[in-house]
Amino acid sequence: MNRDPVIQRKTQISYKTEEKTVLRGYNLSDLAEEGYTFCDALFVLYQSRIPTENEEKMLEYEMAEFLEHSMSPSAAAAICTMGGRPQLPAAVAAGIMTFGSAHGPGAAHGYMMNKYLERARVEGKSPKEMGKILVDEYMDAGRPVMGLGQPQHIHGDPRAVPTHKKHQELLGGGVYLELQLAIEETFNSRRVQEGKRTLAVNMIGAGNTALAELGFSPNAAWAIGCIVRGFSCACHAIENMKRGRAWMASTEEKMIQMLDLSMIVYDGIPDRPVPAQGEREEYARKELEKGEYKRWAL
Amino acid sequence: MGAIEREPFKWHSTVSYKIIDKIVTRGYDTTELVEKGYGLADVIFINFQARIPLVKETKMLNYLMILCLEDGLSTPAGLSRFVAKGHTFVTQSVGASILAFGNAYGAFQAYGRMLDKYLSRAGKEGKSLDEMAEILVKENNGSPTLGVSNLMLKDPAAKRVFARAESLDVAGKYIDFQKRIVKAAQKASKEPVDLDMLGAIGATMFDLGFSPESTWAIIAITRSFGCGAHAIEEEEREPRVLFGAALTPKANYEGTPDRPVPPLKDRNKIVRPATSKTLEEWKKNFEEMKKLKGSGFTLVEEIEDPRKLPKVKK
Repeated sequence: MNRDPVIQRKTQISYKTEEKTVLRGYNLSDLAEEGYTFCDALFVLYQSRIPTENEEKMLEYEMAEFLEHSMSPSAAAAICTMGGRPQLPAAVAAGIMTFGSAHGPGAAHGYMMNKYLERARVEGKSPKEMGKILVDEYMDAGRPVMGLGQPQHIHGDPRAVPTHKKHQELLGGGVYLELQLAIEETFNSRRVQEGKRTLAVNMIGAGNTALAELGFSPNAAWAIGCIVRGFSCACHAIENMKRGRAWMASTEEKMIQMLDLSMIVYDGIPDRPVPAQGEREEYARKELEKGEYKRWAL
Repeated sequence: MGAIEREPFKWHSTVSYKIIDKIVTRGYDTTELVEKGYGLADVIFINFQARIPLVKETKMLNYLMILCLEDGLSTPAGLSRFVAKGHTFVTQSVGASILAFGNAYGAFQAYGRMLDKYLSRAGKEGKSLDEMAEILVKENNGSPTLGVSNLMLKDPAAKRVFARAESLDVAGKYIDFQKRIVKAAQKASKEPVDLDMLGAIGATMFDLGFSPESTWAIIAITRSFGCGAHAIEEEEREPRVLFGAALTPKANYEGTPDRPVPPLKDRNKIVRPATSKTLEEWKKNFEEMKKLKGSGFTLVEEIEDPRKLPKVKK
């Protein structure tokens, strides 16, 4: 059997021989034998270090909490993908790939925090002072401030404030938490002044702040956050595979299915005849001239 | 046709729900779970099996997940790195890594279904597990899903999994059966073979109560955490690849020699249609196409014979 690497690369992450698999210098099997947890191993993977007990507890807390979020874009994508009955990994991958600039924008929040913390350092300001500057800059520009508000949990994400508290309890705070709390305070003060309702911290604001405090880079934090959701996406996809109907369009179900034809609302161009090939050039030229199609072009 | 009154669409789930103020999986408020000290592996049990695991089960799952976190520059890491070369979101890279799991690499679903099939047959046919293990090995000779291979002859990690499962007292019928399969495979093979990671991790996951499908997904996802680091390292250390940049040397090309493109007006004189009018012609075309690599004609997926399937009552 050919056991050559799939691609040739120099890597600082791991090596694998016939005798052992080594991650950042540690034999993986020895790590497991010693009783370390999976969360410990994630610190080794992304930071090349064994974490403190409290750091491990914080990551356990956050990942266990973030794993399931019921119907969000990720679970919906996994279920919809499974509706076509591909192999299960396709549905799981689809769930994870929904994480972008709106759903769990973890990396962007991390980059924002790092940028402003660096500015605080260079300008001789505290994270708290820089939090106010950050909010003012974003709000003055009419831009949303990441980490606040959630479309479903309109009274605040129930996981977010407990995560902040656990962060304080286990890690004793830190520059990221100080910055994030200042962002929340300034943001909502301005909202109140402007006669708007306050927006509570969401799981990006709370969870990503904790991951940053734990030493994970923005991308590593994002990977951890979105992959852990993959577990529940798999569960939802398997439920559809084992208990649901493929296609999700059957008219025999008592409940109208997600892809039932009645779910379609078409408000595009009214039905129109297809021009014969002999009329095509003239027809196409007129369409270009009129430009009406631009209203619909995407 | 008259309109039929039907309930509007709603998401139905036995896995979880959320309302404005809480998220609930299998009846447990997720924040309450973590506040009371339950961890990642515990919640995986709850999510997939709707039960709080014993502490020893959580320990075993953590053990397995650590082993699956990294596998060097294998296919998932390769895929993850390839996607990262396009300067994509890290979510795309890790998602791609999961797609590497199929019916050969990390074939936990296929492996689990095979074990269930032969365990069931042992009961129905009144055969001992040792006899059934021998039948399994004989009928699946050369399969990548035996859980036995020459991959772990020098690395003790696979055998340590079973030893740990036994010391934690979580080993059950699957580990027992897999050990018999190993013995049967060793007896049948001229080359040295032993328990591999598919067999060690798969059998232990099934003894922990996870289904073949759940196991497949959980292990693939676990591996993708490692692939996140590979994607990030690729971005940090390797150049990006632009559309159209990668060349394929002609020395690597083994296809039809260079040839002129025929004038469009002549195509009906030159081109041979694929349509077969007789079965003999069809067979001949089929065999001819097998010589064209990349056409897919040499690949055959096993389709179940409906005559051999149990009848489903309507």
